Amino acid sequence: MIRLLSVLVVAAWLVGAAGADEAPISGPVKAVDPAAQTLTIETTAKGKARQVVVHLKPGAKVVRFARATEPGKTGFVEQTVALGDVKPGWIVSVATKHEGDKEVADLVKVVLER
Amino acid sequence: MTAKHWSILGVVVAGLAAGLWIDDTRVTQADPVRNGEPHEEDAGGHAHVPAPLPYADAHVPIGVWTDPKMIARGKEIYTTTCAVCHGDAGDGKGPAGVVLPLKPSDFRDKAGVAEMRDNYWFWRVSEGGTVDPFKSKGSAMPPWKADLSVEDRWAVMAYQHTFSGHNGPHVPWEHPESVAVGRDIFKMACVGCHGVEGKGDGSVGATLSPRRSPQPRDLTTRDFKFRSTPSGQLPTTADLDRTLTEGVRAAGGPLTLGLRGYRIMPSFRHMPEEQRLELIEYVKTLNKGFWERGDVKVVEIPTPPPMTAERVARGKKLYADAECLACHGETGRGDGPSAPTLKDSRDLPIAAPDLRHPQRFKNGDRPEDIYRTLVTGLAGTPMPSYGDALEPDQTWDLVYYVLSLSRDGGRAAGAGR
Repeated sequence: MIRLLSVLVVAAWLVGAAGADEAPISGPVKAVDPAAQTLTIETTAKGKARQVVVHLKPGAKVVRFARATEPGKTGFVEQTVALGDVKPGWIVSVATKHEGDKEVADLVKVVLER
Repeated sequence: MTAKHWSILGVVVAGLAAGLWIDDTRVTQADPVRNGEPHEEDAGGHAHVPAPLPYADAHVPIGVWTDPKMIARGKEIYTTTCAVCHGDAGDGKGPAGVVLPLKPSDFRDKAGVAEMRDNYWFWRVSEGGTVDPFKSKGSAMPPWKADLSVEDRWAVMAYQHTFSGHNGPHVPWEHPESVAVGRDIFKMACVGCHGVEGKGDGSVGATLSPRRSPQPRDLTTRDFKFRSTPSGQLPTTADLDRTLTEGVRAAGGPLTLGLRGYRIMPSFRHMPEEQRLELIEYVKTLNKGFWERGDVKVVEIPTPPPMTAERVARGKKLYADAECLACHGETGRGDGPSAPTLKDSRDLPIAAPDLRHPQRFKNGDRPEDIYRTLVTGLAGTPMPSYGDALEPDQTWDLVYYVLSLSRDGGRAAGAGR
């Protein structure tokens, strides 16, 4: 019984600790550095605008959404975009995680190309 | 339950509490870069704020909402520009929208759409997330005003509106809940004078100036005195806001002797701007003309030139030529030969204002206020519009002559109301 309860306590602790590490941010791209695999995004949180440097993990993807062109298919399909092709001014969204003092991500979604 | 069981339960509760505390701490620590704090948009709704003044008159023509051509045009635009976030089904679950910190609107949310006024909607589409309060919340919505024409924005709104399942035009009299806040303020602050239906027949209003002008405005007619729009047109929202903010002073003269210099309509300057705009949105619903008038044109008021003796002299001549003295009198006392016979549009006696007291001018005493009064006239009163009769320079001449009639010779002009 005590063993079971101990497991529950530890599980509750871990759920709390792991639950909210991802933070969605979005906004226009200010700079792209393919060599460093970083993307600088201007975002606003709680009324304050700031620039966040997002570090892409190895194997991270940048995707855009395009209309399906295959006959009979509707909706959108994901298309992978090279980080170097991302232009300042595009609006992106990304779920970042804290790792040390960095914001890291493994998926960047392009919301609008302009 | 034994003491042992209580101890075990205590440990479990403490563990859960600790876990939740850590969860909360992590969220707080992540906040500097996250903009995903809880907000009503999470539920697919929207912020209930009035459209700011530059967009407040951007009402969508009534026919647009149900025009099949506009809806088809809107669908085309929506499919290529909006669906990626708002979803093909209008549910706010497009592939690019699902991870946004501020969730895209769910247009299937009937209640949410019903509360969204057309000018708010147009503002939202035009400015996207570049303006507050959406900017502060981290909205990623792009502004479309540079990419889509006004008609295209109307079209896309008409298509978005179809997701809500409402088949009629998206106007306040179809969705009274969209002006509920303003209606409540009107009931508390305005009914006494303007009446329950806004017809100017409130129980208090008539006692302010019995059987004579001024009476509280009948807000259901086109006769709005204080406008920046040409003669015969409804005022802008900014005009209504100016009247509400400044109040209306009694002009003096024998018929309003007891009131002169005092406000017959109080100033609502103390009311927060957001509430004033909500109130005005309700007041506008008393007159469908605000949705039927199309483009809103306002009278252009040039920068006031300096007041000079020459200008005042020219103004004096114009004052006689334009027959101002017939009502206002040679010295501007409001005792011209026609003054005793003047009546307003309700056939009530009305006094010609005493021009020696610009601080009592109902439409403001700054040079640009008097210019506006001369150009637009005062609807529902004998004061005509001189917009077609005088050139701008002549109008300024007359403005400065009028100001020169005051006891300080117009030196205080420009000091505000």
